[in-house]
Amino acid sequence: MKTNFWMLLGLALALSAGVARAQQGDVPAKVTADSVDPITVRIGHSVPVQFTFHVKPGFHINSHQPSAPELIPTQLMFYLPEDLVMAKMEYPAGKLTSFPFDPSTKLSVYSGDVVIRGIALASSKSAAGRYTVHAELKYQACDNNSCYPPKKLPLAFDVKITEGTTTSRRARPNAQSPHIHN
Amino acid sequence: MKNSVIFIAVVVLGITALLIGGKRFTRPPQGQANTAVPGSVAGPERGTTAPDFTLKVLDSHDKTMQLSSLKGKAVLLNFWATWCEPCKMEMPWLVELQKKYGPQGLQIVGVAMDDAGEKAISDFSHKMGVNYPVLLGTEKVADMYGGLDGLPTTFFLDRNGKIVDRALGLESESLIEDSIKKSLGEAAASTASAK
Repeated sequence: MKTNFWMLLGLALALSAGVARAQQGDVPAKVTADSVDPITVRIGHSVPVQFTFHVKPGFHINSHQPSAPELIPTQLMFYLPEDLVMAKMEYPAGKLTSFPFDPSTKLSVYSGDVVIRGIALASSKSAAGRYTVHAELKYQACDNNSCYPPKKLPLAFDVKITEGTTTSRRARPNAQSPHIHN
Repeated sequence: MKNSVIFIAVVVLGITALLIGGKRFTRPPQGQANTAVPGSVAGPERGTTAPDFTLKVLDSHDKTMQLSSLKGKAVLLNFWATWCEPCKMEMPWLVELQKKYGPQGLQIVGVAMDDAGEKAISDFSHKMGVNYPVLLGTEKVADMYGGLDGLPTTFFLDRNGKIVDRALGLESESLIEDSIKKSLGEAAASTASAK
């Protein structure tokens, strides 16, 4: 019994490492995300949520409102359980920057640390319970003379909805937003 | 003892799966650094024949173009996308270079690596005054040319379809022109030696 456990553990570790390596490929990520602390929100109330991303030195990504219509905006998308709403999303203003490939044009971009803020709102019809919210940061990165295909950076965070002063439906033990499949 | 052997066998098999899986699903760099340009290009190397493909031609009512059908011409194969600012920067140069070297046998071919849709690519090409054929790229063709992780990526082919130069990222107009001349010149030399 004990041996079977170790056999399965070894196989699982090896396979998961293989899958992780395969998914990463040889191309290093241009953007990484900080983990989001679990949040607790009362039914009928909201709490602020902050998402922090880091653009690798030497790269930039378009801002949420890029300078030209064909440029792909940075956007944070949520796959929410029905009882939860993400609202009042605030993206930082892009920094107008010119690059060696076109010194005469300034593009609205993010580089370095990027903080996106919003609120998580549990409507009065929400059910108390624990949720895992899945999200994706959609971005398109460039360096000083090349651009790279649009990417989606997945992230997830836990939300606990608690009973508030307003009337609520029966508590739900656990729920998840839809998983994201790339 | 028997259990330990089984355990070790499983771990070895697992690690083998890891290595095979990793190798199969990752994209190894196939080329070496291009000494003529600041960036490096994965994909077919200089001196090799450019991988052949057939792609749909933009704004042509489903007509296709096969790369090998351009044999006899020097070809500048430019992979680009509408969301790529450096690509946008070099397009007017390519338009001028097509005008300048077209009569000598240059054919510039753009390959749009874009999910924006045919109309968006068409509108963008018209806005940029593109005077050469634009093909609608596919993942399969991207893989044939090293994955095309960065754009623009450009391959310069001689009249025999052999790669004489390549560039990852935006190059100066003069460097592009030098590669075009090389492409046309080497083509002339190889034609002469064939005779």
